[in-house]
Amino acid sequence: MPEQPYEPEGAIAGTGMGGAMDLGASEAVTLEKTPGGPDGTGPAEKPRSLWSDAWRDLRRNPVFILSALVILFLVFISLWPGAITSGSPLTCDLAKAQQGSGPGAPFGYNGQGCNVYTRTVYGARTSVTVGVLATLGVAVLGSVLGGLAGFFGRSWDSLLSRTTDIFFAIPVVLGGLVLLSVVTSNTVWPVIGFMVLLGWPQISRIARGSVITAKQNDYVQAARALGASNSRLLLRHIAPNAVAPVIVVATIALGTYIALEATLSYLGVGLKPPSVSWGIDISAASPYIRNAPHALLWPSGALAITVLAFIMLGDAVRDALDPKLR
Amino acid sequence: MLLEVRDLHVEFRTRDGIAKAVNGVSYAVDAGETLAVLGESGSGKSVTAQAVMGILDMPPGRITGGEILFKGRDLLKLKEDQRRSVRGAEMAMIFQDALSSLNPVLSVGDQLGEMFVVHRGMSRKDARAKAVELMDRVRIPAARERVRQYPHQFSGGMRQRIMIAMALALEPALIIADEPTTALDVTVQAQVMDLLAELQREYRMGLILITHDLGVVADVADRIAVMYAGRIVESAPVHDIYKAPAHPYTRGLLDSIPRLDQKGQELYAIKGLPPNLLHIPPGCPFHPRCPMAQDVCRTDVPPLYEVSATRGSACHFWRECLHA
Repeated sequence: MPEQPYEPEGAIAGTGMGGAMDLGASEAVTLEKTPGGPDGTGPAEKPRSLWSDAWRDLRRNPVFILSALVILFLVFISLWPGAITSGSPLTCDLAKAQQGSGPGAPFGYNGQGCNVYTRTVYGARTSVTVGVLATLGVAVLGSVLGGLAGFFGRSWDSLLSRTTDIFFAIPVVLGGLVLLSVVTSNTVWPVIGFMVLLGWPQISRIARGSVITAKQNDYVQAARALGASNSRLLLRHIAPNAVAPVIVVATIALGTYIALEATLSYLGVGLKPPSVSWGIDISAASPYIRNAPHALLWPSGALAITVLAFIMLGDAVRDALDPKLR
Repeated sequence: MLLEVRDLHVEFRTRDGIAKAVNGVSYAVDAGETLAVLGESGSGKSVTAQAVMGILDMPPGRITGGEILFKGRDLLKLKEDQRRSVRGAEMAMIFQDALSSLNPVLSVGDQLGEMFVVHRGMSRKDARAKAVELMDRVRIPAARERVRQYPHQFSGGMRQRIMIAMALALEPALIIADEPTTALDVTVQAQVMDLLAELQREYRMGLILITHDLGVVADVADRIAVMYAGRIVESAPVHDIYKAPAHPYTRGLLDSIPRLDQKGQELYAIKGLPPNLLHIPPGCPFHPRCPMAQDVCRTDVPPLYEVSATRGSACHFWRECLHA
């Protein structure tokens, strides 16, 4: 960076050259000031870092605790749905169609006579799988591409920026309708693949921006002056200081991916029956909202709470990782 | 000579045009010698140092001419990976603001040890032991406990000691200190400068001290190079300059030091502002602010006249200045 040539303060001789006075004073005093506790020579306090500070903040934040509990519960039931249900989500009895709550079916039965409680519990697995894997894929792809572009700059950066512009121009739902309607496989993979394809530019922009910011820090220049290689600068000095915004946006995005899976399944291009998903159930129940509102209410409610929990978690993490708010 | 910079030119491409930050700077430092590079903000002193270290941001920066000879090799002709092995191991740099020059998420032990991991291929455990040794060396109390702490847990003076320890880790032949004490308290400044000077003597390193603090310079420097608008305007042994400056700009700098025997009087200031590097005045770049300027100064760029065997001045009227 060039020194700023026009800077008036300090540049004008007479104010900036006052250092000569320092000589006399410095001879008299030889004890280094030790302001505050941590700088004394006494017992060293426990090392703290951005992450340990953030964790301490989070543990005291009720929003974080609440959303973390909801998410832990979701993860638990998606791993072991049998722990709180008996029976299969695919065992349906048309004779019970649209009935209200009864023994073994606290949420009642849907239009096909399937147990709404069982299906809502089993639907969590789809949502959590899609949400977590899509977020992981997006975060890894986006931060690698964005981070490299931000670090190396120049033509790589231009190429990436224009590419993300193109992806941003694709409407998500329309893109999903077009791309996923040709897919015949009824698994979560095409849905996850589609989300990664359309989601990475969002993270890559964030990663690029925060790498560019971190790159300009003096300690990166200092590490370079002490002989660190590019990969070392990027992985050890820049990445840990640039990763926080990516984590925050990814956490919030996780909620929206779960909602997007439900949207695509609702539209019939995501998962299709006999897969179990909240989107499928919402779609199937919505024509019968007058006769059997409970069949719509429970999967919709579960979806809303899940999305909200992830967005709240993302908010709490963002607050904890922002030192300016401390 | 340990380091010899010859006729270095650096420019920056900006939106408004080309800023000529360094215009033909030459200086030399020998082992065990301290060269103070003095000048206002924007005089090109830091840019020259960055070019020597090879950490200039290119682009927008560009080295358009000159040589940087270090132990006889021209650094500008080395490949980037050869250059990198020189940085840190054979020459190191100390920055102005130690807090922002240390990585906030790594403990100081990790950062000190990194020098040994990168350049010597040491294990992390050995590097940690070396880090404690270094912290002892720069007299940080309770080094063994504090090695695991993070930069923000240290005071300003202690942080600058850590920067010095990092620079000294591999016992480089040359240290460039870019305003190492500017961000510190007056009392701490003296301690840090003393430590630096002592370690320099011990290891017989060459030291380039970039500063605008004439007080610091008088204490530790052997030679002074005064820079203005990307040029060296005066270069001389430190005592010669304090006795009688041979350039009106140097004289202006010395006159602007507040003096205890002139209490109550107005402080002297050099009139005007440093030149805009996009439009450096023709002739002598200092002429618009110079009390001695004549017509020739507006047209002819003064070369570095030889005042004596060890002294040069880029002023057409250096004789008049010297005897003024």
